[in-house]
Amino acid sequence: MELLTRKESWNIGYEHALGETASWFYVQIRDKAKIYGRRDPKSGRVLVPPRSFSDQTLEPTKEWVEVGPDGRIETFTIVYEQFKTLPPPPYAFGFVLLDGADTAIGGFFRGVDLSNPAKAAAKLKVGTRVKTRFADERKGDVLDFWFELESVEQATVGWE
Amino acid sequence: MPQNSTSTSPPAVAVVGSAIHAPRHARQRSLEEAIFAVGQSALLDAGLVIDDIDGIVVGANDQLDGRAISIMMASGSVGGVGRDILSTPSAAEHAFVLGALRVSTGQFRTQLVVAWSPLEVSSITEALRLGTDPYFHRALPLDELSAHGLQATAVEHAVPGIRAAALGIVAKNRAQGAIAYPDRAAAPREQEWIESGRPLRWPLTDTMVTAPGYGLVALVLADAAFVAERRLGPPAWIQGVGWATEAGFLGDRKLATVPALAEAARQAYRQAGVSDPVSSFDLAEVSDATPYQELLAYEGLGLCAREEWRKAQQDGRFAVGGALPVNPSGGALSFNPVYCTGLMRIAEAANQVRGRAGHHQAKNVRRVLAHAASGFAMQYNTVVVMGRERTEVRS
Amino acid sequence: MKATRVGIVGIGQSEFKPRRDDANYPELVREAVTLALQDAKRDLADMEAVVYSLAPDALLGIGNAERLGVDAVGARNKRFMRINTGGSTGLSSVAVGHAHVAAGACDLVLVAGGDKVGESGDSQTILNKIWDPTYERQLPLGTITMLAMSAVRAMHKYGMTEEDMARVTVKNRAHAALNPKAHLRKKVTIEDVFASRYIAWPIKLLDACPQSSGGCAMVLASERYIKENKLEAVWITGVAHCSESYFIGDRMGNNYVADHADAHALRESFERTYRMAGIKDPAKEVHVAELYAPFSNTEFHAIEAAGLAGMGKSMAMLREGAFHIGARTAVNPSGGTLCTNAIAVSAMARVAEGALQVWGRAGGHQQPGARVAACSGNGGDHQFFGTAVVEA
Repeated sequence: MELLTRKESWNIGYEHALGETASWFYVQIRDKAKIYGRRDPKSGRVLVPPRSFSDQTLEPTKEWVEVGPDGRIETFTIVYEQFKTLPPPPYAFGFVLLDGADTAIGGFFRGVDLSNPAKAAAKLKVGTRVKTRFADERKGDVLDFWFELESVEQATVGWE
Repeated sequence: MPQNSTSTSPPAVAVVGSAIHAPRHARQRSLEEAIFAVGQSALLDAGLVIDDIDGIVVGANDQLDGRAISIMMASGSVGGVGRDILSTPSAAEHAFVLGALRVSTGQFRTQLVVAWSPLEVSSITEALRLGTDPYFHRALPLDELSAHGLQATAVEHAVPGIRAAALGIVAKNRAQGAIAYPDRAAAPREQEWIESGRPLRWPLTDTMVTAPGYGLVALVLADAAFVAERRLGPPAWIQGVGWATEAGFLGDRKLATVPALAEAARQAYRQAGVSDPVSSFDLAEVSDATPYQELLAYEGLGLCAREEWRKAQQDGRFAVGGALPVNPSGGALSFNPVYCTGLMRIAEAANQVRGRAGHHQAKNVRRVLAHAASGFAMQYNTVVVMGRERTEVRS
Repeated sequence: MKATRVGIVGIGQSEFKPRRDDANYPELVREAVTLALQDAKRDLADMEAVVYSLAPDALLGIGNAERLGVDAVGARNKRFMRINTGGSTGLSSVAVGHAHVAAGACDLVLVAGGDKVGESGDSQTILNKIWDPTYERQLPLGTITMLAMSAVRAMHKYGMTEEDMARVTVKNRAHAALNPKAHLRKKVTIEDVFASRYIAWPIKLLDACPQSSGGCAMVLASERYIKENKLEAVWITGVAHCSESYFIGDRMGNNYVADHADAHALRESFERTYRMAGIKDPAKEVHVAELYAPFSNTEFHAIEAAGLAGMGKSMAMLREGAFHIGARTAVNPSGGTLCTNAIAVSAMARVAEGALQVWGRAGGHQQPGARVAACSGNGGDHQFFGTAVVEA
């Protein structure tokens, strides 16, 4: 018996309009290294990342609110497995509640020794304070910034 | 009381609001923001708010959207948070069918139905070509347009000389489109220029089909008690719905016939108590991704057998002003938001009953016919009969 | 208005495997359909409509792949539509089939689908594309990382431990060992789970579902048809859906409606379903729960959302032996999604397994005396939840 297979890959690209709200958000990151959220008037929550309407209330958001640069870790994980087109492990990322925001934004955590999972997890535990760091050269996307622990940490492994 | 499938009782559901958007400055809003806008517009049209909505059904194509599950981020836009939301990627019009079924169960009083077709993919051709199976056909340049071309060839072979009538249908719909939607109607409209197009997918020329446009459509459905209670109006009562599919492989089909369309029409007509389609409707909105599809729709819907096609196009019976205007909105030949053209036909027809059809509103509209086709060469067919009257429940 | 009562008259499931090189995708679907029709003692010709269960096309590598499945489900010239709500697709498909019958449109509906998750090579890469390109796709979000982050919050909120998580795997593998259709059937110990490598902390390899290939199908019928044709059936007495915000970051922080540690919308969906089924005290009235939980930690919030334990209390209950076959409520007696995950049909398999249980046909993994089953499906980024109750 001979069982044949055929290899295929999908070769299509996209150019997604981010819209004015998300564009303004990224321009502030790129040009001023500042992060903003938008307030949903009905619930009062400052949504970060910003959206032009709240999906909970379906009301348009009003008012830009500068948030951060510091915040607290709301959740995290540390990835030890390689997935195609995703970064080489190990790396830590999660969601941070920036000061002044009511929802958390995703980003990488850097400067933490990840060689011992239990120790790393203890360092990144929920509630840990972090600082936002911005890249020197920014493009206007989520990789322009990342988070580092507020406590003085002598990084032995991890990215610069 | 419980109904059984052999009864012809209609589901007592009405279209009470709709919105059709064709955004001009696509960069200003993200797709999700555009979806939010069309949903809000439909609610506004119905005089309702999102809290009046019991459930939502959306229709979108992942490959066009560039999202592996298009309902995910879109769900927030259409009020999905805290609500019951489903998705029918097979066809936008299936979202309408499911919405109507859900109201008919009595478990939902209302439904919001939303579909969209963006232009963010680098190549719609390539995106839709992914619908071809990798086992036998992916290496061929077989996308939806090619499939429509194959069907057109089959029709021309079955009815020699029908090309002239097909070109006439393009002229009819384009002329009407210029009246209905001057902001977006496609060109050319002049018969002579339509006739001298360049071949695109033989026998289709670039003038016989319309380039993809960015469009979104939303409808609000409600049951009879809700309509009465909230004094909504005027509704377009759904009197009959039918839907059916052709086989998946084009080679398994005789492309010059569409038995699934005839079956869908049969289901809808039986429910609506329609025995003579030609005289039962004030107008029809049918799928016309190509003019050959409109011809096949005439036949499948029982409006005109192929022996009469040429005569019908010549005597203008299906033009505005004729006995049964077909595509007073201009159809997909005027504005082609690829994925949601079918649902748009349903929305256009409903708008006619509700008196909301704008520039192309017909007078004294009592009953309308809508046909939506999607997929390769009219694979999926959905037929909807709507009218001013909520027909009696039959046992 | 009282809807027509809807019964399940036939069930078909493949033996789920890592790869099915002997069958292409439509053939896999056909296999399950054949089993379901045999079980219902019906022919394809009897089916009046088909609801096709298919989650992301990208996992199969075919756009709108349901079109190729038309013949596998005998749908030529028949009513046919495809449903996609991510991982909850299979249950949503059953719900849509239910609507076809309850609306009075059809007497007999076939619900069917299949998946070959293993053939896409790397499902996490594809599943990364379910995240929006605006804010989140550049982050390494996948279903594993997303649910690992849920585990972290549950640890913080309730003191859930990795040992608690491992206990779920041990239970479900023991159940799967009794289920010939399951993919991963080898029993494991807590030590085995701890010895397996971390994928995304705290989720280890043995805390995670496999990539499975296989099909599932069910035949639904109206009460009238069942009576007229003297068929055996079990009944779908409740069905509902509810969704959460797509934005994971909104499920934390201040004044959130839902916490990412929990499954808020799943709880809502269950409440609606129980109301429809007339169930007031699920912990007492539900004998079997087939709950969609592709990672060990997620079974806890599913159990709590199903009303089978108080918030944060299910870990202790499991420690004391609850939720095993033979306990008051068996959770995932089939082994669940943790042991078998053919994404397009995993949530349908929950209903299928729940139905088999209340039918008394679950063989080696039968929960004794089961008459009421609660079933759930999860989709998107832990966003779409479908729930159903099936009763004898």
